[in-house]
Amino acid sequence: MPRTLLVIDDDRDIRLVAKTSLELVGGFRVIVADSGHRGLAFANQARPDAILLDLMMPDLDGRATLDKLKQMPETASIPVILLTAKVQANRLELMGQGAAGVLVKPFDPIQLPNQVCEILGWRTSENDEEQSDKAPE
Amino acid sequence: MTRHRNENKLRAALEEIWRNTRPEAISRLAALESFLEKLRSGRADDECLDAARTAAHRLAGVLGMFGLEEGSSCAAKIEGLLWQESVSDAVLLEDLVHQLRHLLEGKPASMKTQEKRDL
Repeated sequence: MPRTLLVIDDDRDIRLVAKTSLELVGGFRVIVADSGHRGLAFANQARPDAILLDLMMPDLDGRATLDKLKQMPETASIPVILLTAKVQANRLELMGQGAAGVLVKPFDPIQLPNQVCEILGWRTSENDEEQSDKAPE
Repeated sequence: MTRHRNENKLRAALEEIWRNTRPEAISRLAALESFLEKLRSGRADDECLDAARTAAHRLAGVLGMFGLEEGSSCAAKIEGLLWQESVSDAVLLEDLVHQLRHLLEGKPASMKTQEKRDL
């Protein structure tokens, strides 16, 4: 059963590229939301294994969405990785707000699944493959 | 092997996404050029400044995913200039917008690399 990731970003291209990369290369199941409000609803319904959350969005921005996710008991324990542009990146401050990690945009779609796994301490699909290559003698 | 195959599938998917998204990137560039034009003629207002900031931010976040890292970096510099209290360096801004036009009219580096590999 693949892990489920929720990507919350108001930019259609970023949602599409992240979903394609994480599904094709990472082997994840990915759901997407185009706003903080929709992201909160999807997180509550789907209880994903982790969330990738854009920082700069209209209406409910990434910080406010992160606060709400951490306040709701149903979603409080879901690790959240913030997506942020280089000019906004202040990792320490963002980690202090409860983020599991920070990924800087633009990300490399080939590397994205590995970066997500690294932040979350998950085994990558590459590792899984290596394991399966060594499997039963 | 599977991962390598999937990476190639991803590269093909990225090319397809870029083909569809390039016109939008060009229209975002047009928003920057329109702001520049208004800045030159002293008609720049908050509305077109906001549109230019949004355009620069989107371009900065997106272009690098398609192998246009230089374009992302250029757009990020433009965004930085647009957030200054007053856009003081119009010459630099104009130069960066020109550079961005040039980069967007070319082909992303990753796709060029892929073509070379295929030869």
